[in-house]
Amino acid sequence: MLNGSVIKLSNAVLLLIAVLILNFALIHVAPGDPVEVLVGEMGGATPEQIADLRAHFGLDRPLYIQIATYLGRVVQGDLGYSLYYDQPVTQLIAGRVGPTLLLVGTALLSAILVCTVLGVFSAQKRRSVLSHLVTVLSLAGFSAPAFWVGIMLILLLSVAIPILPISGMSSSDGAASGVMYVLDVLHHLILPALTLALIYLAFYSRLSRASMLEVLESDYVRTARAKGLPRRLVIYKHALRNAVLPVVTFAGLQFGQVISGAVLVETVFAWPGLGTLAFESILRRDTPTLLGILFFSSVMVVAMNLLTDFLVRRIDPRIKAQ
Amino acid sequence: MSGKLLSVRNLEIAFRSGGEEIPVVRDLSFDLDHGETLGIVGESGCGKSVTALSLIGLVPNPPGRISKGEILFEGEELVKAGERRLTQVRGNDISMVFQEPMTSLNPVYTIGEQIAETARAHFGLSQSKAWARAVEMLSLVGIPSPDKRAHDYPHQLSGGMRQRVMIAIALVCEPKILIADEPTTALDVTVQAQIFDLFRDLQKKIGAAIILITHDIGVVAQMTDRVLVMYAGRKIEEGPVADFVRDPRHPYTRGLVSCIPRLAMPPDDEPAPLFEIPGVVPAPRELNRPGCAFAPRCASAFGKCRSQDPALHAAGDGRAVACWLETEGNAA
Repeated sequence: MLNGSVIKLSNAVLLLIAVLILNFALIHVAPGDPVEVLVGEMGGATPEQIADLRAHFGLDRPLYIQIATYLGRVVQGDLGYSLYYDQPVTQLIAGRVGPTLLLVGTALLSAILVCTVLGVFSAQKRRSVLSHLVTVLSLAGFSAPAFWVGIMLILLLSVAIPILPISGMSSSDGAASGVMYVLDVLHHLILPALTLALIYLAFYSRLSRASMLEVLESDYVRTARAKGLPRRLVIYKHALRNAVLPVVTFAGLQFGQVISGAVLVETVFAWPGLGTLAFESILRRDTPTLLGILFFSSVMVVAMNLLTDFLVRRIDPRIKAQ
Repeated sequence: MSGKLLSVRNLEIAFRSGGEEIPVVRDLSFDLDHGETLGIVGESGCGKSVTALSLIGLVPNPPGRISKGEILFEGEELVKAGERRLTQVRGNDISMVFQEPMTSLNPVYTIGEQIAETARAHFGLSQSKAWARAVEMLSLVGIPSPDKRAHDYPHQLSGGMRQRVMIAIALVCEPKILIADEPTTALDVTVQAQIFDLFRDLQKKIGAAIILITHDIGVVAQMTDRVLVMYAGRKIEEGPVADFVRDPRHPYTRGLVSCIPRLAMPPDDEPAPLFEIPGVVPAPRELNRPGCAFAPRCASAFGKCRSQDPALHAAGDGRAVACWLETEGNAA
């Protein structure tokens, strides 16, 4: 068991290094570099000045040396310096990670909760209105792009019926403090979290319904009924724990999607998280920031996979044995 | 009320398929006495398993339902009983062991817990008392070091061991009736013998009546007191097991009994070819036509067999046969 964990962890580290190198190479391949943008904002420069700047940032050296230098710094916890924001990237990310985690966490948890409930109920009455509603909603959720859903929700709940704020994370006057501030943030959280949750719901509700349907037909559920267990125990003890497995696995493996969804939703709602930061840094050709965010995201995805692995082991004893 | 433990009267079970209801079990009546072992035999698809499920109200619904008849358990009607009452009966008064030990236990709970929860549900035992009872049951069904094994998960046990656990679950509340639906089909022959020994032992200890569903005539001969033969959803013969083996009356039963391979070698050292009944059990949908359901496969069928369905006919000492040969048996 301990041995297995060590292997998993070292695999994860290797994976992260590979992701880093790949990210670096991909960004290098894309046209344009930070110096061009910088020069553009300075209002032009002579070719000598540009070459100087390139040399200053180490951009004139061969790619593999740049990568090695970057890797060396990352190992020491240094993700570089953002030219545009004039701040170390680690500081920049640290300042933005809170809002993103709040948004993604809220959306993910509520989506999993709601979809489990939907799955349980719709699977028991598979010809009911609720059951068909799950299918339709999930189809719609799959097909509708996140930003569009976000904009429609804004039009509905902020413009037509103005009960929720359009964007941002807190009211601009900044007067609120303490409990009022928390409530203010929560008020702003509703719309983006709802939008993001709808995307996940589309993924998970179908899955949890299908999985529940399958489990309800299984021999061990029949055994549970034949033993004379009350319905509550049959459903929530015997069926649900087995049915939830694929949902947990899927949610863990799809965590990358979760982050990319967050980028779109944060942008639409001007939510001051990593997503907006990523979006801005792409526009500004702010390579260090972008690389930093990509690296940080991959760390989160890998961590999430490890966590999923752990959870699945807790739920299903069969996996421990293998 | 008669003193019968279980009395099934004119049971019909129908499944909805393509807009119409098709009966898969028709006009089935039988009784079960205290402590008796009744064998229900027949080929796959003749309605044995669904009959068993109907006794504890577990016919998959939809699409199936009990469309006619009654099931009297100690005089109490179970067909119209509510789910709440059935929950009390299941596992406590009537319990069931299934055909598939590999998939019938929940993979995510320990076997101890799966036995203990049954005791908790019916007897309201505390966690620790129910666990102690589970360990006791495991030792009763012959699982070595039961106090350790109780913490195992199903995947850590072999098929035979899992079936023992299923039996422990079925017997933990000392039911009055144990239904065993082909309990050894999925197991090795040597393990089969062990499981049947176990059934016999436990029946003595607990005094439960057993309904043993099987298509293995050898098992029926060894295990049961009385046999009920089903064909295409109907009872076609019933009687004491000795008569059933020695003197089968219905051509189908005769066929079944002849299907037992004989180990004795004839002098010419050439084993006799295995007997088989030609054809297959008709699908329930095909049974709308008149006549005996077995007629198309029956070597002794004559004119009347194809036009009229024979009713069950008493044939002395608790025997009954549904065959025209019994009443007008001259054409054979």
